Amino acid sequence: MEITGKTLLVGIGNIGREDDGLGWLFLDKISELFPGYFDVEYRYQLQVEDAEMLSHYQQVVFVDAHAGLQNKAFVWQKCLPEAPETFTSHELEPGAVYYLTNTIYKKYPDAYVLGIAGKSFELKIGLTDFAKVNLQKALDFFQVKMQIVNTV
Amino acid sequence: MNRKIVIDPVTRVEGHGKVTIQLDENNRVKDAKFHIVEFRGFERFIQGHPYWEAPVMVQRLCGICPVSHHLAAAKAIDQIVGVDPEDLSIPAQKIRKLLHFGQVFQSHALHFFYLASPDLLLGVDADPSIRNVVGVAMEYPEIAKKGILMRKFGQEIIKMTAGKRIHGIAATPGGVHKNITVKEREYFLDGKEIPSVHTMIEWSLEMLDFIKTYHNKHKSFLDTFAKYPSGHLGLVNKQNGFLELYDGNLRAIDAEGNITLNDIPSDDYNQYFYEEAERWTYLKFPYLKHLGKEKGWNRVGPLARINVCSGIETPFAEQERLEFMEMTGGKVNNMTMYTHWARLIEILYTAEMMKNLLQDDDLLSNDLVRKGERRKEGIGIIEAPRGTLIHHYEVDDKDRITRCNLIVSTTHNNEPMNRAVQWVANNVLDRKKEITESMLNQVEVAIRAYDPCLSCATHAMGQMPLHLQIFDADNNMVKELIRD
Repeated sequence: MEITGKTLLVGIGNIGREDDGLGWLFLDKISELFPGYFDVEYRYQLQVEDAEMLSHYQQVVFVDAHAGLQNKAFVWQKCLPEAPETFTSHELEPGAVYYLTNTIYKKYPDAYVLGIAGKSFELKIGLTDFAKVNLQKALDFFQVKMQIVNTV
Repeated sequence: MNRKIVIDPVTRVEGHGKVTIQLDENNRVKDAKFHIVEFRGFERFIQGHPYWEAPVMVQRLCGICPVSHHLAAAKAIDQIVGVDPEDLSIPAQKIRKLLHFGQVFQSHALHFFYLASPDLLLGVDADPSIRNVVGVAMEYPEIAKKGILMRKFGQEIIKMTAGKRIHGIAATPGGVHKNITVKEREYFLDGKEIPSVHTMIEWSLEMLDFIKTYHNKHKSFLDTFAKYPSGHLGLVNKQNGFLELYDGNLRAIDAEGNITLNDIPSDDYNQYFYEEAERWTYLKFPYLKHLGKEKGWNRVGPLARINVCSGIETPFAEQERLEFMEMTGGKVNNMTMYTHWARLIEILYTAEMMKNLLQDDDLLSNDLVRKGERRKEGIGIIEAPRGTLIHHYEVDDKDRITRCNLIVSTTHNNEPMNRAVQWVANNVLDRKKEITESMLNQVEVAIRAYDPCLSCATHAMGQMPLHLQIFDADNNMVKELIRD
């Protein structure tokens, strides 16, 4: 993936619940490393109105903690539009928000999901050692993936 | 064989609740209850913390209405530092009100567009896989776009005044942290980056036109569904009895409109209210002591507020209130589904109020914090989007909170929601051999009108999903609905 326009990073999670803070902390680190390079938004959960926000960008990356990864520090995948069949309006998956952006706003940003492995999500501030290692690996990967290592 | 129905979780409400319906061998409804099954903890959890932490900590009660808890706690803590509501500086009062109106505006928009509109626009018996906000967005994209931008507007107001959209911090003991800059307020007035506050008023009026048209087409549904007599409670302006959301006196009326609580000051609430616990739910049942448990319970929220107030200070909303009151010939409105209509009037009211405040130069002032003589007790009452919210704290000489009592809107609405569930059970489910998904959804429609926030009501920490079960006479579960 190469930067071709405005890029938005959306961190999803809650720093008050241990490794659930991975998404937000990823954004903190990236903003520290590359100030002003990306637009960043922090979310406890994705909601319908985020579809409007996405419509203003050419590239979007959702960054979230991932509890189900086996032997992987992170997972990087294309975000595909997915019509949600869910009872709640308050917690949408990235694919569902992307679907709404496509459908309501007729916008199709290049969208990806970066899931970083975490293992503990209790009411406590701070990442586990396991998550800290994975966060660093995800940061290293992302810099290469976004081809910003030598351009900033 | 008797049967019992349980809805758990109830969907498109904030939090986790459970509905159980007991049927007898002839499929007659024997009993219907709305339970809250999460454990409450915040009142204890906050004890021992310094009082100035309360307005920040209580926001964690809820991700939907943190501003309401923040402001109610802030009003209580103002009193601890010796500052009564009228002693707050004018700019601080106005900035807090702007924050509050932004919160009510976005919360009501959230409820109407995301939670209620699927039932209204698509029908209570529509396919449940599309009977949600996404289905609305697909079918009515222009309405969805406006709903999204109205919610965003309110959230941006919160962000400006409190620093961020969720769990921001605007209030400090005796005032507010920051004023508003000319540039910040222009963002909401000029319509360049987001639709302006004037557009918000315009769209609010459009939504009221929508509900009136809907009313013309579905009058009997709105007029009868989950209708029952009740008391109504809300804050009113201390001078003229008008609709008041931030600071006022408590007024209650009965189902016929007789005054049952006559504009009492917030500080006296404890003399008039009692909360009773039941074994089958964590949510308490508040009522007016002098009327007793059977007659002293009240609805709170938009319908109650419109019923109890003597008028509305903004012109468009007042015109809409008058039209609304005409529907019942000026008498009290006890029709649950009119809560949606009342909510839209409040959307308009808050939009008009935000416009007035954004044009007020007091927002630019640096006169932000006042001090007084330290006290040991503070009570803060506001009208949250869902209704009357009470925060009460006592502190010791070392500034630690020793007692905390919270009566939140959804707790006031506990008895009303139970009555609504009983109405649906008796009028929709009674004597039916087959219980359909559409019938079960109608239980939820009745609860949803109150926009309950169950995590707030139980002061729980963590997520709370709702759940419906039907039990027979032998207590065997014969039907269950869970959408997750």
